[in-house]
Amino acid sequence: MTAVAPRFDAVIHPPPRLQVCGLLAAVDTMDFAAVRDTVGVSDSVLSKHVKQLEEAGYVRVHKATRASRLRTSLALTNEGRAAFDAHVADLRRITGG
Amino acid sequence: MKERDESLADRDAAAAQLAALQADREALADRVLQPWWYDVLLGLLLFGFLASYAFDSLWVTFSALVLFGAGLGALVGVYRRLTGVWVSAGGRVMWVWSGLVVLVLVPALVLSQGFDQHWTTAVAGAVLGVAVALLSRRWGRAYVAELREGL
Repeated sequence: MTAVAPRFDAVIHPPPRLQVCGLLAAVDTMDFAAVRDTVGVSDSVLSKHVKQLEEAGYVRVHKATRASRLRTSLALTNEGRAAFDAHVADLRRITGG
Repeated sequence: MKERDESLADRDAAAAQLAALQADREALADRVLQPWWYDVLLGLLLFGFLASYAFDSLWVTFSALVLFGAGLGALVGVYRRLTGVWVSAGGRVMWVWSGLVVLVLVPALVLSQGFDQHWTTAVAGAVLGVAVALLSRRWGRAYVAELREGL
């Protein structure tokens, strides 16, 4: 396994966005509602953070109609995954872990 | 002195963030394991499709294929509704599965199509149906363990 170079990422750093990236890093896709419930924020707050991650190219948003309901799912892009891994490596560097 | 305090604060904040990330992974681990009937239905769907070749009828096989596709779609939909996530198995599991399919299915199809031993596809369906159910279970548990192990 290649070691990840630590790199602080200002887009990922704020706690809700770090949490969102952490959840998405562990899955292929996750429903917006499941992310919201796990992070413990409102729809509007999560939307705002997701928008910032999307603009940075870190998160991809997919909307689909399932059982006549619009469902939104989120996924990390390859770029987002790399940035998250580097940011976690930086947190580890700071803690000396 | 001030720099040292800031450095300690940074370290505490970073440790808290790593702990929060791990707590989220553990919360995820609590919800992602598929129910036992998911694996059973997956195995039955595959068995049904492969066993349909034993009838040596294009219509039966085509109908079984449609049912198989619809069943898989429904299973995926139910899993996503229950857990809110989708994770695809990759790497080693898929290699094991592909190898098993070739090992079991190719001889069964040769016997079935070349020597009119159509019952062999039902046996292959049973073997692969059990195998996919067991592999799916094993993979699900391994994924949960990986989430709990840490970042």
